[in-house]
Amino acid sequence: MSEEILKALMQLFAIIAKQDVGTSMNEREFVHLFLMQQLSESSVKEYLALFDNKAGFDKDKKESIEPAGVQRKPRLTSVKDSVRTLGIAKKINKTLTQKQKAVVLVRLFELVNSDKNFTPQRMAIIDTVAEVFNITKEEYSSIQIFVTKDDPAEFDIPEIMVVAGDETTVSPTCKCIVSRDLDKNVLILRVSSVDLYFIRYTGSDVLYLNGLHLSSGRIYLFASGSVIKMSIGKPVFYTDIAAKFLADSSLLNIDFRVKDVGFTFPNGKIGLQSFSLAEFSGKLVGILGASGSGKTTLLNVLCGLDTPTHGEVTINGINLHKRKDLVKGVIGYIPQDDLLIEELTVFENLYFNAKLIFRNLTDEQIRERVLKVISNLGLIHAKGMKVGNPLDKKISGGQRKRLNIGLELLREPSILFVDEPTSGLSSRDSENVMELLRELTLRGKLIFAVIHQPSSDIFKMFDNVVIIDDGGFQIYYGNPVEAVMYFKDKDNQVNREIGECPTCGNVNPEMIFNIIEARIVDEYGQFTEKRKKTPPEWSEIFNSTGEADIRNGQANEYLPEPQKMPNRLKQFRIYFIRDLLTKLSNRQYLNLNLLISPVIAAVLAFILRYISDPESDTYLYRENDNITPYIFMAVIIALFLGLIVSAEEIYRDRKILKREAFLNLSRTSYLTSKISILFVISAIQALLFVIIGNSILEIRGMYFEYWLVFFSMAALANMLGLNISATFNSAVTIYILIPFLIIPQMVLAGALFSFDKINRFLGGGSENVPIIAEFMPSRWGFEALLVKQFVDNKYEQMPFNEEGITLYDLEKQISINDYKNVYYIPELKGIVEEYRFRKARNPEMKIPDSDLELLKNEFTREMKVTTQFNFGLMDQLYPGKYNTKVGDSVIAYCEALQEHYKAEFNKYYYIRDEMIASRLKDSAPKDEYYNLRDHYYNENLTAFAINKYAFKKLVRINNHFVQKIDPIFLDPQEISFLNYRTHFMAPRKYFLGRYFSTFSVNVFTIWLFTFLLYFTLYFETIKKSLRFLENTKPYIRKPFRFLGNQLSIGILVLFGKQKHRIKSGTDLTAKNGVDDEGSD
Amino acid sequence: MKYTLPALLVFFLAACGSGDPGTASDLLSDSLLNRNEARISDKQVIEIITSIPNPVEMSSLLQKCGVIYSNDLLNPAGNISKYNTNYKKALNLGTYGTDLVHMNIFDRTTSSLEYLNNIKDLAGDLKVGQFFDHETLTRLSENSKNVDSILFITNSGFDRMSNFLQEQNRTSVSVLIGIGTWVESLYLATNIEKATNKDEVFNRIGEQKEVLDMIIIMLSAFADNEEFKDLMEDIRALKIIFDKVKISYTYAEPTMKEIDGVLVIVDNSTSSVAISEEIFNEISTKISAIRTKIIN
Repeated sequence: MSEEILKALMQLFAIIAKQDVGTSMNEREFVHLFLMQQLSESSVKEYLALFDNKAGFDKDKKESIEPAGVQRKPRLTSVKDSVRTLGIAKKINKTLTQKQKAVVLVRLFELVNSDKNFTPQRMAIIDTVAEVFNITKEEYSSIQIFVTKDDPAEFDIPEIMVVAGDETTVSPTCKCIVSRDLDKNVLILRVSSVDLYFIRYTGSDVLYLNGLHLSSGRIYLFASGSVIKMSIGKPVFYTDIAAKFLADSSLLNIDFRVKDVGFTFPNGKIGLQSFSLAEFSGKLVGILGASGSGKTTLLNVLCGLDTPTHGEVTINGINLHKRKDLVKGVIGYIPQDDLLIEELTVFENLYFNAKLIFRNLTDEQIRERVLKVISNLGLIHAKGMKVGNPLDKKISGGQRKRLNIGLELLREPSILFVDEPTSGLSSRDSENVMELLRELTLRGKLIFAVIHQPSSDIFKMFDNVVIIDDGGFQIYYGNPVEAVMYFKDKDNQVNREIGECPTCGNVNPEMIFNIIEARIVDEYGQFTEKRKKTPPEWSEIFNSTGEADIRNGQANEYLPEPQKMPNRLKQFRIYFIRDLLTKLSNRQYLNLNLLISPVIAAVLAFILRYISDPESDTYLYRENDNITPYIFMAVIIALFLGLIVSAEEIYRDRKILKREAFLNLSRTSYLTSKISILFVISAIQALLFVIIGNSILEIRGMYFEYWLVFFSMAALANMLGLNISATFNSAVTIYILIPFLIIPQMVLAGALFSFDKINRFLGGGSENVPIIAEFMPSRWGFEALLVKQFVDNKYEQMPFNEEGITLYDLEKQISINDYKNVYYIPELKGIVEEYRFRKARNPEMKIPDSDLELLKNEFTREMKVTTQFNFGLMDQLYPGKYNTKVGDSVIAYCEALQEHYKAEFNKYYYIRDEMIASRLKDSAPKDEYYNLRDHYYNENLTAFAINKYAFKKLVRINNHFVQKIDPIFLDPQEISFLNYRTHFMAPRKYFLGRYFSTFSVNVFTIWLFTFLLYFTLYFETIKKSLRFLENTKPYIRKPFRFLGNQLSIGILVLFGKQKHRIKSGTDLTAKNGVDDEGSD
Repeated sequence: MKYTLPALLVFFLAACGSGDPGTASDLLSDSLLNRNEARISDKQVIEIITSIPNPVEMSSLLQKCGVIYSNDLLNPAGNISKYNTNYKKALNLGTYGTDLVHMNIFDRTTSSLEYLNNIKDLAGDLKVGQFFDHETLTRLSENSKNVDSILFITNSGFDRMSNFLQEQNRTSVSVLIGIGTWVESLYLATNIEKATNKDEVFNRIGEQKEVLDMIIIMLSAFADNEEFKDLMEDIRALKIIFDKVKISYTYAEPTMKEIDGVLVIVDNSTSSVAISEEIFNEISTKISAIRTKIIN
């Protein structure tokens, strides 16, 4: 208490005391005692003198110096005094908290009560003070009753409770605890607005408050964690009293029971031995223990994040782990790390959280509620500030912590689990945070808080504490102050019955740990590693005291109804806006993401803008040799950009998700909002890339198609990125995975390596695209653009006639007929000729079965295509049935076909020539022709699309001839209803009974992949399969682990130094990395 | 640059072409081109094409005569974009082939890949790409220093191509390739200002008088074709100049001689060509004009 306040108080006391009849001895004695409590002997005199002076008290005369004296008629309070009272009260108002003000008010009453001199003037002054202090009429009157009345009948008001020796002395409606053998009642007053309890005892029994003697008639503050002990009879705990007061409040009753709960880690290490406890609404329970003893493990089990190996946790009789759905909304969890969205402001963090939680409230109401919480948190000034991250602090650690709690506060879950709320905070901040929690319990919350090294004040705030010893042993459960005595007792220390310091009221929780962990001293006086009592011994002692038996209570079957969540669409909107704001507020992120694609496009296109003629400075699209590589790069860049935007998304949110897991929110909404934002980003990136890249390379008229493919690829990559970010638990792992995902896409896109020349085991060199490449989105994207660019450009689409026959169509016919005529039919014919040649030398020779098979296969195909010719001896193309006649017939059939194809070829060949020649006659069409050719037709792309450098024009695979040239003109050969597979660069694809353009089929396929990935994301398939792998036998797991460790170490070495430099010494990377290895 | 050699060779094959006389008439048979009335038979066309000298021979001669090589004389590789019709493509398959041979004979192979590529492109467009395949190129590269082998490979290649085209009713393509080859070859031979031994070149050019006569006969088969008309006129104009060249032929009894134990008959007849500088220049100008039309 400051000097100023003390002076102000003295003045107040004096003003009251001197009213009416003047200051009595009793009153002066009261002031003296009061000062004695606050000050040292010498200062007491000083302040007492001040009081005497103001009150006009002459201690020599031991009488009032007021001339009027006792005899004088009571007179009205002087105006001067009134004004002064007001002034003093206002001054106090500015400095004291509401709690302290309540104490002052009680003291004033006590002063008056010391002489029972309740004159109107005195009361008027107290009235004034109470008014200035903003103390409600009801509380004012209850304080008055509490301080001044002695008749038990008068105590029948809700704010007062009685500890009575005989319950018959109090009215039945009055709250009452019976403690036999108590001569007179102990009164307890609750000032509910500030949650303070005062205690007053008027009897003559010897009572102890926290081990200190309770003077009769005096009023004491009954702080949380306190205990009243009587010489005989059961002690009365703070929690008992608080429970009484809260019992009839309208708050929900939670009955939280833990029975023999134990927990074993997946790796076999025991985390928790056996815990039992029972708690009810309105309690603040501390979980204490040395570091590594299992505090957080216990918390995680209690809140349902981890499932206990044995035992059960019930809430109102409902098993928390088995019926998660029923109790989900009841539980709130505040992890140790801040779960704030760093890019958002304090207000926005709360606002979006509130939006997600409350369905029924309007925006206005939500804002109000958030503002209320903010002011409760004392964060009004920080309201508009960005949260920032620990390295780039915007708001203080204490503010972060409070905001964190505030997020849960909004929702008001009935049970709140808080992990280390004070870690890293100053003692002042710690206290503020704990007071916040304390306040919450007043509203009926049950709060469990893990706490490490609490200060005395914080320690005393707990209603109960659970103390855990190394190895997960429960060694204490009960009142905190009692705990000190308990351990002192078990350690046979002196003063064991004194829990708190008699003079300062401090409790030293350190002492508990010193006792628990006390080690044996060896003969040299050195501490040994051995403890006096091991954790199991402590646990045994505790169990034998019977404290572990949880109290029986009526399990309440009724569960508070969780908040009504907004529907999915609304949740989606809220998530979306929240995410969007997060991204928008991160300038660096935004700029980088918007710049990266145009910059890459510009660099890439600029590099690839090649002019083939060294003499010329004019760029010609037609001659640019880099169009195919550009398309390929665009596809890969799309994948890459898509991956890097998304790869960290869910990972970054995982802590927030952990908290929101208790909210029963829709995963669909969360994911779709994420996806939508990413898609928007990707769409913009795609647009910028295509506009810039295609313009520089002068790829005309295909902007939309390029955009669509780029966007589709990026969208797919987004989904892939989300999948990995939901699966892996460190940023390094995620980024190291990106090359793993990209490289196969590069290799198997069909651009860098021909599908004809990859490992046959993977399907290389077959008729169709290798199976493995069917799963490569890059292949679908690349092929889509390639085919689109080749087939649908304005040059190839140059109309030949009114019926829409285009240059491409003609070229396709030319290609088909040329292939048949020049390569295919001669090869077929060659089969028989070859056989005849050999047979001439060796008459025994039989035609190989495979050759017959081939002829049969090819003729079957051929007869479907060219129906006007028929090979009549199909049934003779079997081993044993073949004879010269069949051979002749084969040759004849081939020749007929060849004639046909020759004619067809010539027809289209000349039509095409004619068409072009006619255009070249006049200058206008000629210019147009050259224009189209220069700007829409690309030689490099054509060479690629017709497989110009093919080593073999056709190959024999599985008794089929497979065409290797001109894939771009070749329709799929093996068509059937469900067969979607084709060779690479087929101009169109056949599926479900009709032809679709390759472009649409491929884009559709990419989206199909995207869709599938959404499902794996939704159901966390990858994570689950990995977990499954981890749970397999160790000898399977080990190699993976080993590899994983090696990988992590490598990464650490690689990245460690770099990050070091950036993050100025905070070796976050290394820390994260190590953590990752440890957690499985 | 292994490729370059083969490359060169390839062309000549086209160029030197000894083609088979494609069935000129067949070509025309296609209604669109309407070229069915050949005035001479396919067989004759084959013979004529075969008699067009292989550019390998001409270029070797030029080299022997100390002609100075210049890239400027060649048909620029970039011109390929100008060839959009089959007519142009075929002619210039000939010119590029000749150029490729020429630069290889002179060991100036820097840009031969480009020419090789052009040839592949044109052949592919004309759908005769199969004659310019990997195998042929490999064989050519293996024989790159042996002019006789190159001659053999190219000639036989051209033969096969001509036969194929005849079968396919596209004799005109081989005719055009042959003409392109011949014109380019002649063009190169008429730009020899710095040659040390011009006489031999002059003679060789003079000898083309007979070749020209045959070309005219051959072209007459395509007289109805619009595209050919122009070319025909040019060739006729060229013939007028060539008519001024006098070739005298002296007959002498053949004699028998034993060479390496084998008896061979030696033709002792000689022919002499009389061609003046003036006529040569005239020819040069005209050939240059024809060639300019072809390559542009």
